[in-house]
Amino acid sequence: MRSLTLDHASFWYPATESPALRDVSLEVGQGEVVALVGALGAGASTLLLVAADLAPRVTGGRLAGAVARRDRSGIVLPTPWTQASGMAFTVWDEVAFGPANLGWPTHEIARQVDRALEQLELVPLASRDPATLSGGELQRVIIAAILAMDPGLVLFDEPAAELDAEGAHTLWRLIRLLAREGKAVLLATSALDAIPDVADRVVWLEDGAVRAVGTPDLLADVAACDAGLGTSVATVWRAGGLPEPYPLTVAHAVQRWR
Amino acid sequence: MIPVLRLDRVSFSYGAVPALAAVSFAIAPGERVALLGRNGAGKSTLVRLVAGLERPDEGALWVGDWDTRDCVPEQLAWRVATVFQHADQQLFAPTVRDDVSFGPRALGVGERDVERRTDRALEDLGLTAHAGHHPYDLPPALRKLAALAGALALEPALLVLDEPTIGLDRALRARVTRVLLDRSAASVALLVITHDLTFAAETLERGLVLDRGRLACDEPLAGLVGDATRLEPLGLVPPPVAALSAALDLPGRPVCAADAARALARVARGRLAP
Repeated sequence: MRSLTLDHASFWYPATESPALRDVSLEVGQGEVVALVGALGAGASTLLLVAADLAPRVTGGRLAGAVARRDRSGIVLPTPWTQASGMAFTVWDEVAFGPANLGWPTHEIARQVDRALEQLELVPLASRDPATLSGGELQRVIIAAILAMDPGLVLFDEPAAELDAEGAHTLWRLIRLLAREGKAVLLATSALDAIPDVADRVVWLEDGAVRAVGTPDLLADVAACDAGLGTSVATVWRAGGLPEPYPLTVAHAVQRWR
Repeated sequence: MIPVLRLDRVSFSYGAVPALAAVSFAIAPGERVALLGRNGAGKSTLVRLVAGLERPDEGALWVGDWDTRDCVPEQLAWRVATVFQHADQQLFAPTVRDDVSFGPRALGVGERDVERRTDRALEDLGLTAHAGHHPYDLPPALRKLAALAGALALEPALLVLDEPTIGLDRALRARVTRVLLDRSAASVALLVITHDLTFAAETLERGLVLDRGRLACDEPLAGLVGDATRLEPLGLVPPPVAALSAALDLPGRPVCAADAARALARVARGRLAP
């Protein structure tokens, strides 16, 4: 079932002439992980803001076309430290802030918070003051706080940016788990090498418009490599002048090399 | 030669929480050093000490021939330029040009020199066309480059960068790599915190790894980033190019994309030859 549908959506930020999104049509289904890729300014962050109903509602500007959401959405911004409530003295209370504002009964809040802390491997930090956390720890707390509200549509903008290798691995695994639970996930990431293991579909944005949609194999295409959007392995393969099709991952490369 | 930076058994705690324990190393002029480790390993704390924002509880930290215990951050700015992790949130001037020139002007260098340094930093990072824009009219990735330009304009002996590639696409990362290699060739030393081992392998030459506040590793990056068994207990994973070199057993085990592509081409040609 569709969780999010954009139908010929275009969006203009306030006081700008040219649209940040141009005629974008896109569906994200329940249980599906869709990755947005693109160069700087391609429109991935804007698309997430539109999907989250923050643009134009909060940002101002103008939307044309239609956006339909079936589920409540939660968004993890690329600046997670700006998403902390600032009103909680423990990690547990910070994660509980969202569910409490949804007016849920206490036992349901506790259940969702404990579950989210476990999923993000934050249980040992539950009683810490959020102000004392490192950047990566805080990023995981914000992700937990969003998930504790049990959104059906989860939007991530560069969710691994502040995470170390283990934190990123945990996050990508969690995103697959969210999809298995039936959530729809739309994420923007410049971590191209993580996409083959995480995403079901890739949407390549260019200058605000959809340039191509496909499986993660899209990131091994000549065009993607030339646009700086190939995986590291595909890019090296192309730079070495080896024949197509280019391998997407190290595992694919090993198969091709035999 | 006097090291640009020297730490001699530096320890530091936040109250009862230890952050760094007896860390010692030195960095030579022009050296390109990656500071690696898990979240919470003490990397950002080390940067705060180098910038003079915190003082060691024990041990000594030297910037050139200055003992930082006798220095205030404004004085250290003559030799050390630091770009903090969220520096793109700290721009404050009405234009990118004003922001980049603020540092050298505050140091008190002559106006013509301020102009020259500002022009060069903007040019090097491809920001000249944005010089007259308000920083917050730029996308976050370009704001990040503007913050880096401000540090370059200080023309320091040591450039300290905390996660310089977050949010940058591949083209911008390559631009940052080019500028840093350029400055290092002109004897500017680099100390770069990063989780991006791909960027580290392309740009830097020596790896320091912190593990729970201790210096667990100090050696050439080229050997380190390809060694999965040694990286794993330190919370690190080989970048894909290094993993590819290892998986295909490419000669020399290259860790940079260009070197790996050349090695791959050579081996492939060899296979086709009669």
